[in-house]
Amino acid sequence: MTVNITINGQKIQAQPEQTILEAAREHGINIPTLCYHKDLSPTGNCRICMVDVKGARFLQAACATQVWEGMEIETHGEKSIVSRKMTLEMMLANHPVDCLTCEANGDCELQDLAYEYRVEVPEWGTKGTHYPVDSDPNPFIFVDFNKCILCRRCVQACAEIQVRDVWGVAQRGFDETIVAGADTTMLEARCESCGQCVAYCPTGALTSKISRGLGRAPQVTKVTTTCTYCGVGCQLDLNVKDGKVIGVTSNPDAPVNGMALCVKGRYGWDFIHHPDRLTKPLVRQYLLSDQPKPKGKLGEWVEVDWDTALDITARKLSHARDTFGPDSVGILTSAKCLNEENYLMNKFARQVVGTNNIDHCARL
Amino acid sequence: MAGLAASFGSGAMSNSMDDIAGQAQAFFVIGSNTTEQHPVFGTMLRRAVRFRGAKLIVADPRRIDLVDFATLHLQQKPGTDIVLLNGLMHIILQNGWEDERFIAERCEGFEEFKETVMRYTPQMVSETTSVPVEKLHQAAEIMGTHKPMAVMWAMGITQHISGVPNVLNLANLQMLLGNMGIPGGGVNPLRGQNNVQGACDLGGLPNVYPGYQKVTVAEHNRKFEAAWGAPLSDKIGATVTEIIPDILEGKTHALYILGEDPLMSDPDTAHIRKCMEAVDFLVLQELFPSETSHYADVMLPGASFAEKTGTFTNTERRIQMVHKAVDPPGEALPDWKIITRLAKRMLHGRTLSPDAPYAGWEYSSTADVMIETAALTPLYAGVTHERLERGERLQWPVKALDHPGTPILHVGQFSRGKGIFHPIDHIPPAEEPDEDYPFVMSTGRVIYHWHGGQMTRRAQGLLEVYSEALIEINPDDAARMGITTNGSAQRVRVSSRRGSIEAQAWVTDRVPPGMVYANFHFPDASANELTQAALDPVAKIPEYKVTAVHVEPA
Amino acid sequence: MTNKRIIHQPIQPEIQELAAEYGNDSESILSILTRLQELHGSLSPEIITDAARALSVPAHQAYGMATFYSMLFLEPRKQIVHVCDGPVCWTKNAAATHKAIEAIANDDWTVERASCLGLCDSAPAVLVNNEQAGPVLPEDAAKLLEGWRGTPNGYTTPRKGEVRAMMANAGKVDPKSIDSALEHGAYDGLKKALGMTPEAVVAVVDASGLQGRGGAGFPVGRKWKFVAQARNTPKYVICNADESEPLIFKDRVLIETNPHQILAGMAIAGYACGASEAFIYIRGEYAAQARLLEGAIEQAEEKGWLGDNIQGSGFSFHVHVHRGAGAYICGEETALIESLEGKRGEPRLRPPYPPTAGYRGLPTLVNNVESFAAAANIVRNGADWWRSLSDYETPGTKLYILLGPVENPGLFEAPFGLTLRQIIDEFGGGMLPGSEFRCALTGGAAGTIVDETLLDVPIDYASGSRYGISLGAGAFMVCDQTTSPVALLQVLLHFFAAESCGKCTPCRVGTWRSKEILTRMVNGQGQPGDVEELKALADHMQSASFCGLGQSAGVPMNSAIQHFAQAFEKAANG
Repeated sequence: MTVNITINGQKIQAQPEQTILEAAREHGINIPTLCYHKDLSPTGNCRICMVDVKGARFLQAACATQVWEGMEIETHGEKSIVSRKMTLEMMLANHPVDCLTCEANGDCELQDLAYEYRVEVPEWGTKGTHYPVDSDPNPFIFVDFNKCILCRRCVQACAEIQVRDVWGVAQRGFDETIVAGADTTMLEARCESCGQCVAYCPTGALTSKISRGLGRAPQVTKVTTTCTYCGVGCQLDLNVKDGKVIGVTSNPDAPVNGMALCVKGRYGWDFIHHPDRLTKPLVRQYLLSDQPKPKGKLGEWVEVDWDTALDITARKLSHARDTFGPDSVGILTSAKCLNEENYLMNKFARQVVGTNNIDHCARL
Repeated sequence: MAGLAASFGSGAMSNSMDDIAGQAQAFFVIGSNTTEQHPVFGTMLRRAVRFRGAKLIVADPRRIDLVDFATLHLQQKPGTDIVLLNGLMHIILQNGWEDERFIAERCEGFEEFKETVMRYTPQMVSETTSVPVEKLHQAAEIMGTHKPMAVMWAMGITQHISGVPNVLNLANLQMLLGNMGIPGGGVNPLRGQNNVQGACDLGGLPNVYPGYQKVTVAEHNRKFEAAWGAPLSDKIGATVTEIIPDILEGKTHALYILGEDPLMSDPDTAHIRKCMEAVDFLVLQELFPSETSHYADVMLPGASFAEKTGTFTNTERRIQMVHKAVDPPGEALPDWKIITRLAKRMLHGRTLSPDAPYAGWEYSSTADVMIETAALTPLYAGVTHERLERGERLQWPVKALDHPGTPILHVGQFSRGKGIFHPIDHIPPAEEPDEDYPFVMSTGRVIYHWHGGQMTRRAQGLLEVYSEALIEINPDDAARMGITTNGSAQRVRVSSRRGSIEAQAWVTDRVPPGMVYANFHFPDASANELTQAALDPVAKIPEYKVTAVHVEPA
Repeated sequence: MTNKRIIHQPIQPEIQELAAEYGNDSESILSILTRLQELHGSLSPEIITDAARALSVPAHQAYGMATFYSMLFLEPRKQIVHVCDGPVCWTKNAAATHKAIEAIANDDWTVERASCLGLCDSAPAVLVNNEQAGPVLPEDAAKLLEGWRGTPNGYTTPRKGEVRAMMANAGKVDPKSIDSALEHGAYDGLKKALGMTPEAVVAVVDASGLQGRGGAGFPVGRKWKFVAQARNTPKYVICNADESEPLIFKDRVLIETNPHQILAGMAIAGYACGASEAFIYIRGEYAAQARLLEGAIEQAEEKGWLGDNIQGSGFSFHVHVHRGAGAYICGEETALIESLEGKRGEPRLRPPYPPTAGYRGLPTLVNNVESFAAAANIVRNGADWWRSLSDYETPGTKLYILLGPVENPGLFEAPFGLTLRQIIDEFGGGMLPGSEFRCALTGGAAGTIVDETLLDVPIDYASGSRYGISLGAGAFMVCDQTTSPVALLQVLLHFFAAESCGKCTPCRVGTWRSKEILTRMVNGQGQPGDVEELKALADHMQSASFCGLGQSAGVPMNSAIQHFAQAFEKAANG
């Protein structure tokens, strides 16, 4: 059974359980939103998505109003536009005007809407001077509630996606604010640092602390890949700038995890460019001077080119194989490496060395 | 995964995380600290409990975080899983909650199994496991009356000398309840590493070729000999837990290790050290110098996941693309290129059968490798990078290029035909607490770190949140020994028959009295200095979860 | 080492025990916080966190509540005086009282403002800890701190022209004695109902044409029918006694004069709708009235008029008194339900409406105190009797509140359709000598501000949208030439800004911004464009706010600006 509705004069068949917003988006009609996110239950907090429904006394929140038979909706009528502009003005009046240096510049839904609706920043308001900047010691998450528009997506992400209930709402009215636990630090409020709140924050109120200053959305190339840590297989976007990974963001199309990631997946990437990384093949000095292997300390490492390193390795492995038999060579492949690499290690052990002595850390 | 293979003919997670979290009426999580080890799946379970009202039974000696969400927590003594499961199945049978039709139509060996289980009375089970009889009944009732129920486990089940029997018994439970081959049910071992499933799938095991084709089966052997153009061994090889100790036996002379740190991850570190000192030649292919690199002769700089393109297979058999985002640092190379170059060198001068289609090592990319893999691996027959890049979602078996993959295994029929009930009796741990070593130590990981910590100890934020090894100890035990979290006596020394470590105590009711919990993320206090190389006789997995130790203030 | 922070400490035993007393019921969080505040003088993040943990609710939820309800606080206090700054107290110069108390109070005392205390007939009103007092003139400050509380009004004698139904037994019944109430037939309506089918009871209420007395005037019989027909069980009855709107105190008077009448009405509703569990959600400032109700419930249970198997009928009905803790928004029925469930009192999305999914997601009837009082009489005397009370198109009678410089202010009961002139002259005895009618705030704070052009319009639930003069909950505050409509509006917006829950942007920012502009205007610092901005804000709040609070904040703004354009323009231009 479908419901016949009209949006902006366009006749549409909607599902009876759908909201105006869902029906509109399904048919390519854009209604702006801020507090709404498809992964989270609608709250109707921000009032950006107000639309004109024929016969209704007041504007209706498209995100939270179900369609009914014969409903006639104007999404961009004068009343809606005026209302949206005013709501945006109310937000901007109390939001710092520092897009020039803001971490979220280019990845800010408030900025995009202010642009789309040509809103001027009003002269009144606090301009976001309420709260200390970087107000939480969490090592991953940078908190600046001056930029918060109280959409509460962070609260919902923490409750509905992560089911951790760290973030909540405190005070009331104009003094309303987001708090962790009983106004403690995030970690004290049992935060797992998954960063779901950051992923769902539409503004620069919650951003990645460890990516701070390294590059902003328009400068970044996103490369979708699969996480290197556990077996869940979350997909994520590596954010790359100037040949370096500078952060990780959620990829909403990830098959297993959607927007969700854990602390390691989202914030455990900086090992990639760690100075400890091996950058050249290394061999022990004794191998270059054709001496026997010393007992005890193996001596200095020497940087060599690939040919040298691989020649020595091939020689040594071949020697063991030829002298003591193929089973004298043990091959440990890696559960961290690619399928293709594991296939090759298996082929290497069996075809090249001739042994089945291949295993990996599955047992450990 | 030898246990599951014995019961059903296939040893992987039978269901998908999505159908489990979305459709199970109940979850039984045993020996899996899901919210810390598989965090995103952990949150899926939490969501199911909170928003869908699914029942959750957690069986774990520790009060892990997931217990906060559990309908019921069964806090069994370490090493008594078989008894616990037999007890639960006893009560299920007593109440007629078993799925008679499923058992009759799809299983065999039921009567003998039933005989064994009926010997495990709730009273006796309660005494062995220290789980109250009342809770056993409650758990059995939830299991018996909420179907489908999904069973999840991880290393808490397998890292015992009874690892395989433990798994067999979980398979018994799910057959008994008829929870196999349906959405929201199944036997679901959660695989630890990102690509441990793929490493197993693609021949990284001593007994099988890619796709679990046994090296001992002549037909498989011939197939690979023909493909690779070389004579192959039909003798089952040695496992990691044998290869390294075999150095001292004079059997292993050279080691080629890709991305692993046995000094951190293998049991009984002192012994491993001795072995490594004795090996003739050790080549290590790594991202970082590791504890093991002290003993290496050659170190080859490999590439991280961000520096190469290919695929990983996750715990639910889902094959997914990994994409190169940046170049490897310096002269480091993607591992597949290193392996290829090494292979070519070693093959130099050897003649391989000219008819063999896959004898050579000429690959222009990992996509080429996958084509060869698919050709030789029926489970991956239909997998190509191209399909994955198109956005197709593939879980093996993917039988052909037009096959959509298999989200749930054992639908209608088990891989081996009928499922087998195995009667399982209690196997006590290899080492039990005694006067000298009165505590049981269990080991594992914490949410902020990964395995030997090579990567996570180099992630600034993770190190800031969890900066050193912590030994979890119960408040009662701590008080008795004068250990407090904030006082002066906050460090503890934990010793076993094999070694001793010192670390900060974390006084917490996460562990019951008489138990301590340690991790192996930090080299200066790695739990594996204490663990023993007691192995499950079939799976050769060490008993990490039960070590007798002595604890004292340091 | 940061990870120490995630180590959890055991819950303080005292809090653990207190929680156990409430069965570790997460809905008892407000009561537990209130008790802990009494014990410790204030709440701290540690106490709040432990209370939350003991009840298995998130710490943020408990903290969110502790900072939401105005009667809970985190700063230590010993004794506290709340001085009302509602519009009536404002006209009676409560600010002077506030200053006078502050001047003599020692360090043990904290003196704070409060939104309207519901004591408008005793203005200037204060709350000393939990005790109501008024009128408190500046010179009464010393007496007040020594225990003097002023004299409450009784409304025992009807004034000329009154038609008393709900107030019929005021002064006749001893509110503390069920025997006295029974002598006056307090539970006759319930007895009669129990002899009828539930459907027949609903039919009587429906036939009476009774309209809800919270202010919106929704037909009571229809609401009962929705709940009765709802499929899910159990069902709940809630009596909304959160009367927190400035000018309104009728529910308090109904409780003070005849609590059993309300309980009987609730029990009848429970029988008609199929509910056997009920709550009276009473504002925290009405502590004395809450005790009165608790006593009445206890006595009624003893006498078998409440509790299990009432009078052997097989019908059971349990009533619980739930105290609020200072939040006007909790008068909104879905916010009330949230609060009852142990959360911040924020309104819910509707639909679903409470009759299908209310308290705990189950069918819930929410009616105002006055509606239940009326229903008790209607079932007792019949729908025809109710309709016979008045010739006006809206049947029955209504409680009215008249405030301001009139001869005879206070509360009275009369039929619908009175004009403002009738209310002032016939019931109020006219303006005080020297006072001239300038404007009136009608309905309540969320009502209309009108001038003399609307003095002769018959007022009912429809007159607000039809003529621009609203009935609301039945209150009328008359102002004379000494009161500036701009200043009156400033006081109202001060109230709305203080009571906005903060959930939606238009109300959260709009009330604050409007108050800011009006405050400037009142202080002679108006700016050109102020009036236009106020109008825009009023329209925006009205059309885009989430709930009735924000939507109605625009009503007095628009009406005041419409009727007193000159005054506003003058204020805007300095």
